[in-house]
Parts: sequence; C-alpha cells; structure tokens
Amino acid sequence: MSLCHVFSKKVYRLVCLFTSLASATGCSAIKAPVPKDPAALADYKAANDPYEPLNRKLFNLTLKFDKYTLKPMAKAYRWAVPHVVRNSLGNMITTMYEPQVFFNDVGAGKPRRAGDLFARWCINMTVGLGGLIDVAKMVGFPHHVNDAGLTFANWGISPGPYLFLPMGPSSVRDGLGYAVDQLFSPWNYVPRGYGLISFNWAYNSFGMIHGRSEHLDELDALERDSLDPYATIRSAYQQMRKAEAAAIRNDHRATVPAWYYHWYQRHPPHPH
Amino acid sequence: MTFLINRRILTTLISTFALGCILIFFTPSCFANDNSRSFIQNFGNHLVAIVDSPISVSEKKQKLIPLVQQNVDFNAIGRYCLGRFWKVATTQQKARYLKLFHQFLMNAITDKLGDYRGVQFTIGKITQNGGNDLVETSITRLQQPSISMQWVVSYASGSPKIVDVIGEGASLRLTQRSDYSAFITRHGGNINVLLNALQKKVSEHVHSTSNN
Repeated sequence: MSLCHVFSKKVYRLVCLFTSLASATGCSAIKAPVPKDPAALADYKAANDPYEPLNRKLFNLTLKFDKYTLKPMAKAYRWAVPHVVRNSLGNMITTMYEPQVFFNDVGAGKPRRAGDLFARWCINMTVGLGGLIDVAKMVGFPHHVNDAGLTFANWGISPGPYLFLPMGPSSVRDGLGYAVDQLFSPWNYVPRGYGLISFNWAYNSFGMIHGRSEHLDELDALERDSLDPYATIRSAYQQMRKAEAAAIRNDHRATVPAWYYHWYQRHPPHPH
Repeated sequence: MTFLINRRILTTLISTFALGCILIFFTPSCFANDNSRSFIQNFGNHLVAIVDSPISVSEKKQKLIPLVQQNVDFNAIGRYCLGRFWKVATTQQKARYLKLFHQFLMNAITDKLGDYRGVQFTIGKITQNGGNDLVETSITRLQQPSISMQWVVSYASGSPKIVDVIGEGASLRLTQRSDYSAFITRHGGNINVLLNALQKKVSEHVHSTSNN
C-alpha cells in the first residue's frame, strides 16, 4: 500500500466525517460572533476558538457517543480485566505507536530523544515481550510524548484555531499533525487480505477503550464539577499542548548519554 | 609595596561590596525558596499523615479541612477564577461568590481523599514566576503512574499560601477561570446564573454526602 494511498484514505475519511457532521449541524452556526467589549474580546482571543458553535455541536455528539458506547465498554473493561493485565496491555499500545514518536523526535531535531526512544523500543520489543513489560523504563529510558502537531509547534507553526474533532480536542495544526502521523504508523501499511488487518482494527478499537478506561474518574469528576465541560477541556488541552511543546523545545541534553561520554574518555580510539 | 597593599585593600573592598550586593539581592529569593520548600514539605507531610492514619473517612475530612484552610488562599484563587467578571460584580455578589467558591473548592479537594492514599512525594527544583514560587513535586501513588505537579506559592498575604496547582502543564485556576468565564458569557454575562449554578453544585454535594 503506497504512502499516498494511506494518507488520502485517512484524510478522505476525516473530511467526509467532518463535512457530514457540519452539514448535519447546519452551516449557519459555524463561526462565533466577535465581541466588541475589550475585556470580552481579550477572552475571545485567549480561547482561540472562532468555530465554537460548530465545535460545541461536535463535542455534544461525541459526549452522546461516549455515554452510550465508549464509556460503558471502558467501565466493563476496567471491571473485568485486572490492573496488572491492563497495565501490560497499556504498555503494549504505547510501544506500538512509538515509531511515530521516534520519527517526530528526528523531525524536531532532538537526536537524544530519538536515540532514547529507539533504545526503548528495541528493549521493549525484545526483553519486554513485544512491549507488554516496560523494561526500558526500569533501565532509564522512560516513555515520552511527541507527535507531528508538537513537531510543527517546534518548527514555529502556531496552533491555529481550536477544533473539536471526532478523536477529541485539537487545533488546525494538531489535526494536520494527526493526519501526518498516520503516515508514520507502520500498522497502516499492513497489506490487505491478511489476518493482520483485523489485528489493526482490533488494536485501534482496543486502544480507544483502554485509553478511555484510564480517564474514567477524571472525566466523571469533570462532568460533576465543571459548569461548562467544553470550555474546561479546551483550556486544559491548549495549556497541556503548550507545555508539551515547551518540554521538547527545552530538552537540551547532550546527544550522547553521560555514561557513553565517560566510557569514551577512558577508551579513546587507537590511531592506526 | 604600598601599591600592592593598596591593591589588596581595594580588591578586598570590591570583593566585600560584591558579596554584599549578592547577599542583598539574592538572599530574599533564596530565603523564599527555602521557605516555599519547607512550606510544601510540611503541608505534604501533614496531608499524607492524615490520609494514611487509621481513622474513618469522615474523621479524616474533619482533620483535612483546617489544614487546607490554613495553607490554601481560597479568596485569591476565587478572585482569579472570576476573571473579568470580578470587576463588574457587586459587593453582595462577590461575598456570595467567595463563600460558595470556598465550599465548592473544599468539596473538590476532600472528595479526592481516597486518591491520596499511600502517596509519596519528592520536592524538585523551585523557580520564580510573576512574584510567586513554583515548587516542583514528583508524586508517586499506589498502583498508579507517578505524576509531576507544580505548586504555586504566593506570599502576597504575608505568609506562604498555595494559589494554584499545575498538573501536566495545565493550571487549575486558569482552567477553572475558562470554565466560569464561558459559562457566564453563554448566559448573557449574568453573574447570578453562575452563583445559582455553584449553589446547586454545593447543595448536590451536601445531599450526596448525607446519603452515603
């Protein structure tokens, strides 16, 4: 399967979903009116959400889908599967999407992070039994986040307007980043007609249920305590992405780890 | 020789002056840093001691409330969370809001008592931001991944008080402010709607705890 084919298929699906939802919800209420009061305008600019009416409709639809399908499945999964097993499955899911993180570390120009990720992936895929046990974390290579949206952020691209997409809170930049990340996921290149394609679907669906099960309590608390959950999620997401991008940007560790540097000092190469 | 002695005196004077400057300019921040470290350490130790003590949940809550009241600046957080609407609120609205916010935040903290069980924490670096100290902590919980949190300590009230908590890059008070601001804006800028909604949340909480 060619790269373009995978990309166009994913983008086509997203565009279809987005446009059908947009037409279903009515195009007249897509953009929010710009307030005239200076204080309200400052809040409007800080929220960076000109398409708020449309985003809110998509948010409500997602909430309904979550209430009747995803949340009950996540609760059942948490009830039926012991914590240790869930932890291992979570490790496996993390390991499976780490090739994307590696490519983004390279794209962000952070060789140390990319090297750590590569070592981590090799350790967990072998000693860690295909990612089920996070051995790499125990030996000093913990998981770190990165995606194409964050890579774009480190290239100086601003997030653009906030968007609420079917996969959750996002922005124009992060939404495009999501599409780009699909190109770097090896699981999208599994040939058709093999049993592995079913594995790919199972992996994606299971990943959603597992991910939701990890946030059951937090989202319940949000629904209980928040007066406007949409605005709360928007604010938390925007702050979190900013902090994640800053953490990558401010990672100025040397390319080679300290232990290698010291070893190299003690064992310099012999001139021929 | 005289030249050498003079130079030595001059060097000593300059060194003393430089040292004095360093002490004058840097001591308050170092002092504040140490204060913030011991403040968060004390608060955390007390919190863990209460949560891990072999008493009932209601007794734990009763012990936790004065500790939180003493160490968290509820009024400062409340004012921040109301954002631009604080300026336009009447005195009565402000008083009612602060009272409700106090109860609301206290409920949110005490409801999470179970989450703090078996918590261990280590204090990391302390930085300054906008006149406040940011104390980094790494928190380890039972059967949970460790998390890093930043505590924002303010000295504006004369003594150290927690005015914000930042987890995974998200500030608690900023997120809360976005929540309130969006809610009031969507209700035509009417602060009373927020007060009634907060009152409802607080009443629901009383009802749910009395039923348990």
